[in-house]
Amino acid sequence: MKILLTAALFVFCSGCSSLGVEPWERDVLAREDMQLTSDAAEAATDDHIYFSKEASSGGRGFGGGGCGCN
Amino acid sequence: MLTGSRQTSISTALATATCTLLGSAAPSVVIAEEEPKWDFNTSLLYYGEDKSRVRDLSLKAIVRRLFTDDRVFSFGLTLDSLTGATPSGAIRQDVAQTFTRPSGNAEYTVPAGSLPLDDTFLDTRLAITAAWQQPYGESSQFSVGFSGSKEYDYLHLGLNGSFAKDFNKRNTTLSTGISIARDEFDPVGGAPLPFTAMLAVGDTSNRGGSDDKDVLDIVAGVSQVISRNLVVQANYSYSSEKGYLNNPYKFLSVVDGISGDTIIGTAGTSHVLRFENRPDERTKHSLYTQAKYNRGGKVLDVSYRYMSDDWDIDSHTVELRYRVPFGQDKYYEPHLRWYTQNEAEFYSLSLLEGAALPLYASNDYRLGDFDALTAGLKFGWTTRNNSAMSIRVEWYRQVGSIPGEQIIGNQAERDNYPDLNALIVQLSYRFKK
Repeated sequence: MKILLTAALFVFCSGCSSLGVEPWERDVLAREDMQLTSDAAEAATDDHIYFSKEASSGGRGFGGGGCGCN
Repeated sequence: MLTGSRQTSISTALATATCTLLGSAAPSVVIAEEEPKWDFNTSLLYYGEDKSRVRDLSLKAIVRRLFTDDRVFSFGLTLDSLTGATPSGAIRQDVAQTFTRPSGNAEYTVPAGSLPLDDTFLDTRLAITAAWQQPYGESSQFSVGFSGSKEYDYLHLGLNGSFAKDFNKRNTTLSTGISIARDEFDPVGGAPLPFTAMLAVGDTSNRGGSDDKDVLDIVAGVSQVISRNLVVQANYSYSSEKGYLNNPYKFLSVVDGISGDTIIGTAGTSHVLRFENRPDERTKHSLYTQAKYNRGGKVLDVSYRYMSDDWDIDSHTVELRYRVPFGQDKYYEPHLRWYTQNEAEFYSLSLLEGAALPLYASNDYRLGDFDALTAGLKFGWTTRNNSAMSIRVEWYRQVGSIPGEQIIGNQAERDNYPDLNALIVQLSYRFKK
């Protein structure tokens, strides 16, 4: 199993090596609006609202919670 | 092949570097601007449900202190003020119903035909987070953090850590994280023993004390830069909860097997009611994927999450944001979110009089079968002192249904799963210094 996982990771990373950009091509990617979480406060707010109202939570990060949430 | 503008910028950079190396005077005086050391991200949120249900006014601040070598300390503080009413789990009746308040010291009456809501929902919640993040070696970084929150009847304490490593010229990042938490529930009036009947005012013989649960979360993911304009990520999450997972304020109506009407009580409350009972373990698995794509300055943010747990709940979430810049330093961002889940295996509208009790049962609407839609618009702008402001207005709607086989007799004529509509307004202000 461990060998299989290592092999899968190797194949995945090898595949990824042909993707991407050079360091000097990161102008767009460095922009704040291109970050995967571009608004931390809004993301935390949404995670908490939906944790309180639905049976699912997390995904983007940890499951959230920490409330009795009626 | 280099474009004209890139050729120009590289030429300029080379000329500046050459001048510097030769000790020549630079073409113009360059004043180094000091990098901001503090990043303040604050927001004020209003969340309000219709029909006098839950309302929350929330103040949030996330402060980041940036140190040399990309080390960052962040601190978050949230203060929630909650009021309103929430469905208790009992079902509507054609006659008025009386219930004992969670404290056990008083009772309240719900009019005939109305959805029983517990209107004693009033709480203030203070939550804090703290985290330290720093590079580890040349291509890795780690973070350690703490989280805590306190409500009148609830205490949460948690620790977390994460590690990320970059590959392929930082185009690929593998990350993993772990979080452990202990939450303690100290319900008003004491936690009721599962499936015991709601008792008359003053009778607390079925109440226990406080109870707790342990939560373990593990996240592993990869993010990948595909091109200059596209970045994607995929995360797998595992979550395990063990301990007290009941909601101590929720109960079920005990009904007649033919009419579906709640049995009239002989002592205490007007009708027969039993407190809910959930399993004391829950394991969730989630797969989350996200893509961000830039096209001419406009940014499309799409994500999908699949969640499955051992309470037999499956859910799908699709979210879409599209940020469009306009004017000078302004943007608008429409947001759509669609969510669907099926009911937990022990979700039950009511309990049958005379039948053996099931192993578990809950009529918490959040464990039911429903779809939800969020639609909103955000407007952001940069102020004269270079701070970022935004306001978003969103509408959240939940529409649920009860599995047909659970509806008995007269219950078919009543709205057993009322829609939920909520307004979300958030004002954010972010500045650096």
